[in-house]
Order: sequence, then C-alpha cells, then structure tokens
Amino acid sequence: MKVVGQGLPRVEILEKVTGESVFGADVRLAAPILIGKILGSPHAHARIKSIDARKAERLPGVKAVVTAQDLPPVKYGRFVRDEEYFAHKKVRLVGDKIAAVAAIDEETAEEAIKLIKVEYEVLPHFTDGVEAMREGAALIHEEYDQYQALSMVEGRKGNICYHKQTVQGDTNRGFQEAERIFEHSFYAPMVHQTYIEPHAVLARVDASGKATVWVPTQAQFFIRASIAEIFQLPLIKVRVIPTEIGGGFGGKMLPTIEPAAVALARKSGMAVQIVMSRAEDFQVANPRTPCHLRYKTGVKLDGTIMAREVELVFGTGAYCGNGLVICQRAEMLASGPYRIPNVKIDLFCAYTNHANCGPYRAPSGPQISFASESQIDIIARELNLDPVEMRLKNAIEEGDTTPACGGPLKSVHAKETLLKAAEAAGWKERRREKNRGRGIALGYWLVGGMASSAGVKLNEDGTATVMTGVIDLSGTVTSLGQIVAEVLGVELDDVHVRTADSDFAPHSTISAGSQALRSMGSATKWAAEEVKKQIMEVAADKLEAEVSDLVVEGKRVYVKGSPERGLSLGQVGQLSLTHKRGPIVSIQSVSIFPNQPAISAHVTDVEVNPETGAVKVLRYVAAQDVGTAINPLSVMGQVQGAVIQGLGQALTEECIFQNGRMINPTFLDYKIFSSLDAPRVEVHLVEHAAEDGPFGAKGIGEPSIIPVPAAVANAVYDAVGVRISDLPLTAEKILMAIQEKNKSG
Amino acid sequence: MARRTKRIRVTVNGERYEKEVSPSKSLLDFLRMDLNLTGTKEGCGEGECGACSIIMNGKLVDSCLILTVEADGQKIQTIEGISRHDRLHPLQKAFAEKGAAQCGYCTPGMIMAAKYLLDHNPSPTAEQVLKAIAGNLCRCTGYGSIVDAVLSAAKER
Repeated sequence: MKVVGQGLPRVEILEKVTGESVFGADVRLAAPILIGKILGSPHAHARIKSIDARKAERLPGVKAVVTAQDLPPVKYGRFVRDEEYFAHKKVRLVGDKIAAVAAIDEETAEEAIKLIKVEYEVLPHFTDGVEAMREGAALIHEEYDQYQALSMVEGRKGNICYHKQTVQGDTNRGFQEAERIFEHSFYAPMVHQTYIEPHAVLARVDASGKATVWVPTQAQFFIRASIAEIFQLPLIKVRVIPTEIGGGFGGKMLPTIEPAAVALARKSGMAVQIVMSRAEDFQVANPRTPCHLRYKTGVKLDGTIMAREVELVFGTGAYCGNGLVICQRAEMLASGPYRIPNVKIDLFCAYTNHANCGPYRAPSGPQISFASESQIDIIARELNLDPVEMRLKNAIEEGDTTPACGGPLKSVHAKETLLKAAEAAGWKERRREKNRGRGIALGYWLVGGMASSAGVKLNEDGTATVMTGVIDLSGTVTSLGQIVAEVLGVELDDVHVRTADSDFAPHSTISAGSQALRSMGSATKWAAEEVKKQIMEVAADKLEAEVSDLVVEGKRVYVKGSPERGLSLGQVGQLSLTHKRGPIVSIQSVSIFPNQPAISAHVTDVEVNPETGAVKVLRYVAAQDVGTAINPLSVMGQVQGAVIQGLGQALTEECIFQNGRMINPTFLDYKIFSSLDAPRVEVHLVEHAAEDGPFGAKGIGEPSIIPVPAAVANAVYDAVGVRISDLPLTAEKILMAIQEKNKSG
Repeated sequence: MARRTKRIRVTVNGERYEKEVSPSKSLLDFLRMDLNLTGTKEGCGEGECGACSIIMNGKLVDSCLILTVEADGQKIQTIEGISRHDRLHPLQKAFAEKGAAQCGYCTPGMIMAAKYLLDHNPSPTAEQVLKAIAGNLCRCTGYGSIVDAVLSAAKER
C-alpha cells in the first residue's frame, strides 16, 4: 500500500496552524448578529409557579425573548420522550432552560436575563443515582409512566428510567464451582469532556422559514433531526452546517443551545449567536455518567474465572437523553475482555438532578475497567498469581463471546496486546524501589459500525473529490482521503475531502463510538472502487482494450504490460463527459457491522509521595490493537491524547456538587492535565488487518482511555499498599489511606 | 442605549487601528469582534486555558484578561501575524508535521506561547518547552507531539 499506512498531516492542518479554521464562535455573516443568552434554573429540582418575562421584553436592545410558549408542545428524547426544550412546569437540574433572550450585545442580553422573574417551589433533589432509586424518593418525573418510550427501555419505575438484567450461564452454579469469591464496590464520579472550545451556535431563519444552524457538532444529522422534531419541521427545513469542532469527546452530540438559537432567530428575524461560558458548559453540557459498581467474582485457585456478577448504577441526569447508550455499552463491557462461563449483569439507569449525562470517550469504559481491573489485580495478589498471567489465563480468544457482543468475536488480539505491553514495559525485569509501583490493566471496547453513505467523484483533471458529511474529530476525514487515494492510485494531494453540510452530504454516521472510520471508510472505499470501475470502463473504450486488462496506478490507467498504452486520469475525466456513461461519480452505502474487540493494555510506573499522598506518573506504556492503522500519525495521537485524558480521570478530575450545583466549574478547580503533569506516553500498536473495515482498520478514538484509571490504581497499590476504590485517586484520599494502614498496621 | 466609549490606538500584526471601544471590552473580544481576527480563541474567559494567548509588547499574555483600553498604544501580535504571505512560521510547519494540532482549538494560543519561548530561548530543552506551554491547556494531544514540534521548529530556525 502506498498512501494507506502513511503518517500524513491532516488535510485541514494548515487552516488550523494559521488560525484560519472557522470554529463555532468564529462564524460571521454580512447581516448583524444578535447575542443570545439562556436563563437556567438556579434550583436542582423545583416546581415553576410563574414566569414573567415582560420587563425583559421591554428592555431597549432586546430583540426577542422566548419561553416554552414559543415552541410547539413537543416532548422529545431518543429513548424516552421525557424532555421539553424549555421547562415550564418543573425544573430538574441547575441550569434547566426556562427562557432565552437575544439582544444587540452581550451586556444587554445579560441584563435582560436578570429581568425575567420566575417563582419556584423548591423540591428535594438527588445528585446520586443510588439515593434517587431509594423507595419513597421524591419523583423527578411524576408522570414517567405516561411517557412514550422505545420498547427496549425495560424496567422503568419511579426514578429508575432503565433496568436490565443480562444473564449468561448460571452464576449460582459458577460460584459453587469457584474456590474463592471476591466482592468489591467502586465508584466513579461525574467527569467532564472539557473540550477547549465551549458549545457555540449561530442560527438564522430565512423568509421561507428554513433554519440554518452553524454548529460544532459530532452528529450533524442527529442535530438536524432534533431541531426538526422540536420545531415540528420537515428535515429539509433545517440545514446544519458543521463548523470546525474544538474537541467533542462525546459531549457535542445532544442538542443543547441550538434550539434556543433557532427560536430566537425565528422570533427576532435576525441571526443569533449563543456561546456557552465555561461554567455553563461544565454545569449543563453532557458529562460522563457517574457510576456505582459492584463486582462479585468467583475463581479457581489457579486464577480461572468461573463466575462474575456485576451491578452498575448510573445516575443519568434529569432526562434519559443518551443514558441508554451508556447502558448498552456497559452491558457489553461489564464482564471485561474475559472468557467467563457464568455472568450476570444488572444495569440501572437512574434519573438524577444534574446535567443530562451523555457519551464521553468510551462511554462506561473507564468506570467499568477501573472496577473490573482493580478487582482482577486484587484477586491475582490474593492468589499469588502474576497479574499478567492471571489475565492471560482468562483473556478472550478468536471465536469467544462476551455478553451482548453480538456473536462469536473475530479479529481478537487480547493476549498479544497484553504481552506487547508487558514486554515493552519490562514487566518481568523490574526492580523494587520504595514508594514506587507498577500497575497493569486491560481495556475492553467493541467497535461496530453504523449506517453511512459517502460519495466519490472524478474531476475533469483527474483529481477526486469525496462527498461526506462525517465530522472530523480524530483525523477521519484525512483517512478517507488516504483510502480514496489508495484505491485510485493517486496521492493524498490529488484528493479533496472536507465535511459537507446536511443539505449536501449523503447521510453520515455520528463521529462517536470509534466507528466513524470503519463505517464511513467502508462506504468511501466502495465508492472509490466503483469510480475506479467507471474509469476503466471509459478507458477501455478509448484504448480498445478489455477492462480486465487495465491497471489503475500512478495517476494513470493503462494496459497491463504496456504502460505506454494508457491515459492519464485527467484524460479519462475529460473523456467521461462525452462518453456514453457520463461523469464519473458514485455514492455507496453501508449498514450495520459486527462488533470487533479493540483491546488496550496499559502498564504504568508511579511514585507516591508518602508525606502528601501525591502520585507522580513516571512512565506510561500503552499497547493498542488497531487493526490496520490507516494513518499512524493520527492513531498515535489518539492513543497519547486518550491516555493523558484518562490520567486526569484517574488522579484529578471530578465534578463536585453542592445543592445540585457544580461548585468547581473552572479550569482552576476542575483540574485537567497540563503539560507539567503529563508523562510521555510510549505507544505500541498491534496491527493485524481486521476481517472487515476499510483495509482492515478498527476504531481508535476511544479505547485507549479505558484502562488508565485501573492501571494507575493498581500501580498505587503496588507502591504503597493502599487500595482506593473511588475515583479520582487524589493525594488526600491516598494519604488518608496510608495513615489508616499505618495505624492498623 | 448610549454607553461611554474610549478611543484607542493599537498596532496589531503591523497594522495600525484607531477605534472607539467600550471600557469593559476585553482585548480578546476586540480582536475577535472589532477586528475579526478570530484565530485567537476563547476557552474559559478567565485566564486559565491559554487559548487566547497573544504577544503584547513582547510579552505573552491572556488576551481575555486584558481590557482593550489597556492595549492603547501597544503593539500586538496574534496567530494571524506570524506567517508572512504564504510562508509559514517554522512553528506552524512543525505543528502540522508532528501531529501537534488535532482539533486545533488550542493551537493558535499554543503556537504563540511557543513563539514567545523561541523568541527568548532559541534552543530550549524539552523541560523548558513543557514549562513554557504550562499555561496552555490541550485536551487532544497529551502534549508530547507539541513538545516534539517546538523542538523541531527550534532546530529549523
């Protein structure tokens, strides 16, 4: 392969390094733009007694004020229709939207927001899923049983918006056959994606009533559908133009401020921009679901896992939102990348009075791995087994299944990935040093695929253009270009590829779930192959040769064995315009793909300061099963970035709530890793072309974040002998545990 | 509504501007809204993320923390001012080649912080680079590729 497999710079990179890229808040129009602001609830749970916006409407400079009265009375939600865009009877989280204003400048808009008077009757609130599920807890949705929900949404009752039990084998029998049984509880709090670009949107509604929305989103077709549903419009009356996106990590998929901007634009007749402040973004955007985890695992003395029971309680937030996406993922991942004959998984998704949690890079993955892999470490130590050996003994192999994985798994490289990490880290040759420790953990992720379509056209000069609506987060768009270049025998520079908007792009999957390249890359590859066929058809006529005798290579098509008997792709492009078949173009579609595991194995060395409890990460080794790396530069970047994000989740990050309000919504108080905290990440790729996916590529955006908290927790235990079971592993918790241990010790 | 304004003179990327501005307007908003120089980004508005980093009178500053009126009479350089015509600054070239920009949102501020470093220390160590960009948060790269890019640009210069 010539272009696939090259670590080429991203196609849009020059715009980015020069500051030319247009992000959400950078869109400018010839017409003036109003500034929109949203009035959010100050209470986590309250009944609304009255809303009076008259004073705000009269403030000079205010061009529109909108409330629930300005929207059709629509309840929406992907799984449960439990959400109304503007609250009018009840608010269920701090920041629940009540009204929005558009004014000539920010100061006026802020002043107008303060003039809207709302009377509340405050109700008891819950920011913890287990508390919300208690018998007799005040209901967050009193009318939950009247909501429409998809039939898959099992077990809705009170504040439980989903409960599912999954059984494989018979865990009672498994525990009887086990020689030791271990039970542990863990907790992973809410953490936030903290993309550096806050949510931003610009909306305009034209004379025909069509809404155009410029927005940095991971899911332009989903945003289009959501806006159309909320405003009861046909899809062709909503155009979503995705801007460059300053990070998403799962947090830019659900509609947040977009409908408010549309409502204000419609009412004012002007363009309206809304940009979230960092504090608003922390408070109301879609963070990672906090999770209580209970693991019960039965093993033989040789380390063979006989049975595993898992209970997970997710606090999904005030509305179901994408809560089920997290639960569905958790069902697949909960028992880990292990061959276990008897498994029972209980999943609870509880309504809670905080932001609607959404997917965050590998939804449920790091929480599950933290619990599961901490426990595997505990078990290995108890049984005097090497943690690597214990994992090797149980790791999945080709043809194995895990709960809800969708059938026998193919392209499984769990053991090789584990061994690669262990070997690269020198697992066996380590020297013990005081207060230093080493930890290992596995990450389990399944990459699937979703309905996608993409087009390729050959231009008259032999260059090619890709027609795609996929959002570029991890370098997907560049990889699509590389795939087309490979198929057509040209260079990446000969291919133009950028994201088109919802009016012009064929339907594209969301950029989430580490499946965008697998889905879109497959559709794009098939379209490029079809274009190649058409090139050969046109060339065959001109060259008076059989199609089967032609070769497409080096920007030319020629007769096998006689390269001089050929045409340039430019000549073919020209010829096609007078040829009976017409311009060369193809759009192809793909549908669902089977799941394949993308395993991560991480080893880290840490040092714990026994006086302060502070953890310093000395070394980090990450092995990742990627199938084929279409662009190794992008792939390495994904692994490195995911690990550093994971270290934040392991050591420093947590959304802290008081009275339902997040009290640390700043980068000062919510500590993500800076350059001074981040170790160098040593990345080792395990590359075997996967059975499907373009050129055998798997997905890479998410998996490498999964094992990080567990690897660190295991290393901390190894260093100082304390086991922290709730994230993050702050210096304070570690120090207290060390003191406790010394007291009892 | 009539609001008080103040006339200021400022040189941005070699161009001189004279403008009426509100006394409460941040330099970041002035650059982005009044001059349409949207390369400089807002990530937090509180001086914590560094996305709005620019160089003012030879100093690296968070433009979100500076009032436009404080920039009166000053010389400012933003990301738009560091490449000449179609010639990229060595840092821009190195960021592109080393994969040091993923989403690209922190990139302009990051490059300005790195430029400030190289202007004062043409051949820094990796440690010095890490310190120089400590005020610039990146959520995508994990910083390793950024350090590589800065070191590579230093060699290039």
